[in-house]
Amino acid sequence: MARVGVFVCFCGANIADYVDVPQVVEEVKRIREVKFATEYKYMCSDPGQGMIRDAIVQHKLTSIVVAACSPRMHEKTFRKALSDAGMNPYLLEVANIREHSSWVHQKDKKAATSKAMDLCRMAVAKSIANEQLHEISVPVTKRALVIGGGIAGIQAALDIADARIPVVLVERSPSIGGKMAQLDETFPTLDCAQCILTPKMVDVASHPYIELIPYSEVIELQGFVGNYKVKIRKKASYVNFKTCTGCGACWQKCPVKVPNEYNMGIDKRKAIYTPFPQAVPNKPVIDAEHCTMLLKGKCGICAKVCEKGSIDYTMQDEIIEREIGAVVVATGYDMWDPAPYEEYGVGRFKDIITSLEFERMVSANGPTNGVPVRPSDGKVPKNVVFIKCVGSRDEAKGIEYCSKICCMYTTKHTILLHHKVHDSHAYVFYMDIRAAGKGYEEFVKKAQVDTGTTYLRGRVSKIYRKGDKLMVRGEDAQIGQVVEVEADLVVLATAVSAPKDNPELARMLGISYDKYGYLSEAHPKLRPVETAKAGIFLAGCTQAPKDIPETVSQASACAAKVCGLFAGDTMKKDPMVSTISNEYCSGCQNCVKVCPYGAIVTDEVPIGYGSKELRTVAKINEGVCQGCGSCVAICRSTAITLAGFTDPQIINEIVSI
Amino acid sequence: MKKLTYFPGCSAHGTSEEFDSTLKLVLKTLDVELEDIPDWNCCGATSAHVMTENLAYALPMRNLVLAEKLENTTMGIACASCYQRMKVTKVHMDENPELAKRINTTVVEEGTYQGKVDVKSMLQYAYEDIGLDIIKSKVTKPLNGLKVACYYGCLLTRPKNITKFDSPEYPVSMDQICEALGATATEFDYKTECCGASFSISNTEVVENLSGQILAMAKESGAHAIVVACPLCQSNLDMRQPDIEKKQGIKYDIPIFYFTQLMALAFGYPIDQLKFPKHIVPVEGALANIGKVEPVPEKVKKPIKAVEAESEVK
Repeated sequence: MARVGVFVCFCGANIADYVDVPQVVEEVKRIREVKFATEYKYMCSDPGQGMIRDAIVQHKLTSIVVAACSPRMHEKTFRKALSDAGMNPYLLEVANIREHSSWVHQKDKKAATSKAMDLCRMAVAKSIANEQLHEISVPVTKRALVIGGGIAGIQAALDIADARIPVVLVERSPSIGGKMAQLDETFPTLDCAQCILTPKMVDVASHPYIELIPYSEVIELQGFVGNYKVKIRKKASYVNFKTCTGCGACWQKCPVKVPNEYNMGIDKRKAIYTPFPQAVPNKPVIDAEHCTMLLKGKCGICAKVCEKGSIDYTMQDEIIEREIGAVVVATGYDMWDPAPYEEYGVGRFKDIITSLEFERMVSANGPTNGVPVRPSDGKVPKNVVFIKCVGSRDEAKGIEYCSKICCMYTTKHTILLHHKVHDSHAYVFYMDIRAAGKGYEEFVKKAQVDTGTTYLRGRVSKIYRKGDKLMVRGEDAQIGQVVEVEADLVVLATAVSAPKDNPELARMLGISYDKYGYLSEAHPKLRPVETAKAGIFLAGCTQAPKDIPETVSQASACAAKVCGLFAGDTMKKDPMVSTISNEYCSGCQNCVKVCPYGAIVTDEVPIGYGSKELRTVAKINEGVCQGCGSCVAICRSTAITLAGFTDPQIINEIVSI
Repeated sequence: MKKLTYFPGCSAHGTSEEFDSTLKLVLKTLDVELEDIPDWNCCGATSAHVMTENLAYALPMRNLVLAEKLENTTMGIACASCYQRMKVTKVHMDENPELAKRINTTVVEEGTYQGKVDVKSMLQYAYEDIGLDIIKSKVTKPLNGLKVACYYGCLLTRPKNITKFDSPEYPVSMDQICEALGATATEFDYKTECCGASFSISNTEVVENLSGQILAMAKESGAHAIVVACPLCQSNLDMRQPDIEKKQGIKYDIPIFYFTQLMALAFGYPIDQLKFPKHIVPVEGALANIGKVEPVPEKVKKPIKAVEAESEVK
């Protein structure tokens, strides 16, 4: 005869205010199998768990019901309490009387109490049929995949590799470095971005535990935590990286000029190119969309000048596979396209540029040798207007959120302008100055004093041309008047937006994303680097806009998570998985079709004992199975059982109410 | 012969009579017959829509319901204000059937609102339903040499989610129509600024300031004339121009044409049918530019390597 113990939690006031807990306890005591029932203010606390441990021993209990919050919250906690008392942890049932009753029926205590009683009765009935289960051990492939080679991906890869765990780093473009490689100096210390980034890039290339796969994309991910299989498409570079020395003869002689993405299209690159001189790897690729040899079969100059014979126009895309145990997604961000700001003349006026274009101009390795110029006539601007929140915090034209970095980089830009053009004057139109961060407020204050920048609090409503100047009309809310500023150059602090391919990537990886396209973390506060899918982690702006220090912190946190996951040789997994009885399985394979995890395959078994003839049956890979129960529901011959949710358990629950 | 339901509005019978009459000439050439809405009434601008919601919707709705009795699917409206009231009402009624039902109780005698008739400004009708190619094909006297600044005002393309036509900030439809007539549209950044609208009567200084800026920007853009599609814009820029000139001490001499006047001119209608004597600012000076050929500066050809040229094409 089963001996069930029931422990009902007040959850402070969360449950007790809306459910009559003592009455629930009295009610469950009337069930024949319940040998002990009690209540406590915080069942999850140490004294609460102690009550469970003591009762198990004292009353020789055979299963436990805890009526408290969602099992997502504390099921693990209470299972551990059972283990500590020498009981199989899977003899626990949680009745969720908080999310399922007290929180949602706050206006009707009587009904909430009655529902809590029902939930408890069901849990007791189910627990009577609970069986002892044991954790499954799954082997782990100790290799991590990092998607994206910006500062987030670089940091995560280096930290994981330093723990002597092999890393596969996949980068879409020909070089790692990401957006940070395009920056001149970084706030709030004005470190040169190149000086702090390029050594890390070199470390990645030379690290014995990192396999860098540039100019490639992840196209498929299969498997489960600890045992993923990834397919990577290596785009044809038309250059044999093994023999290429990166001498540069090919791109010097290439006659085809294409707008240079690294410099935001301000100057031109060649059709065979490395994105920038400090690129890693420092090997060129041929841009197949522009190469006349690949398009029309004419030219071939790069092959002629290459002394190593590294050019191969017949190269094809290649699909490679790697086995990995965890994934860090670090796909970064896109700059928001300010085209909807038609009243600013975006797209019509050449002397309106975006912040990243300005960043390239003032960069020492930029297209204008570090001096900002007007795109229209090449003159050095004297009056420069910076407009913040272009796209950010704008529900009508842009995005609702604050992009977080623009206040700081615009401040940096006023300093850089002041450094490069001494007799210049900067104007900043702003909504708020958000400078929360170590040394940030001090940085803004100092910049304001040092540069003498005019800060105008208000939105810009229109920009129009007057001669070769741009007239910027906006509100100065502090004096309550419309002001007009004559500008030589206007710089738009455009919003940070999610990479446009993120939804597609998320679907491929099986993780979720928000309405903007940012990838979703498992919990906004307590699990900010994990995704809801085990073994997949997030680093950097692909999760939300953030600056470099925050990105690096999150990347290192990802590395810690990966290292933790790989700490043992095997991984423990909940035993709530399906099993198939060969005797009953008719081999219809409906379960194979409905399994969302690809956990069911087919197998051949003898049709009878000792027979040589074979028949097809379904077989479950318990490492992949997530215990969703779809196969159980679809099976015509009731051949499938889901541990922890067996037919007797479910029927008991139903009968009990 | 195409048919179009026509809502002339009060100004077409008064201040903008030249818009109305040249529109009819132009549509005759384009083979479009106008059918007036029988017993149409005031659109409600500008007093009703700031006073009561019911009246603001009921007045246009009555016209919309009456227009549904004709067989045409589109209503063309000359005045920008009338267009605005009618379009807003249509969009709000179509989006909110409950509201439509409620407003309909006020104009129950005329019939039930069904939302069958689309509402377009005459500019939108010319641009979308007739099209640049057909307009171009009817030109017999191209306006080559005439530089115009096309001024749309605040209502013709706004708000974007109501009008769903052209750009709310930098529209180009009228520019393209003028170019189709042979004229040159200047790059004019004050296309959609406010002219001062009905302050013309209550606070003339506002109009003098705002319309004055528009005139100054049009002159700066190199235009000989301003082209409009709104009666109030026309009257403010034309009628107040002498006062603005006096105030600013600048002689503008920029005539303000309806786009239909220029269309009629290019379609070959004789000058005496275009109602130019109704203008305050004389038109002769601007029209004298037609046919004048400006010397085109010779283009400097850069030597481009053959391979590069190919890649540029791609």
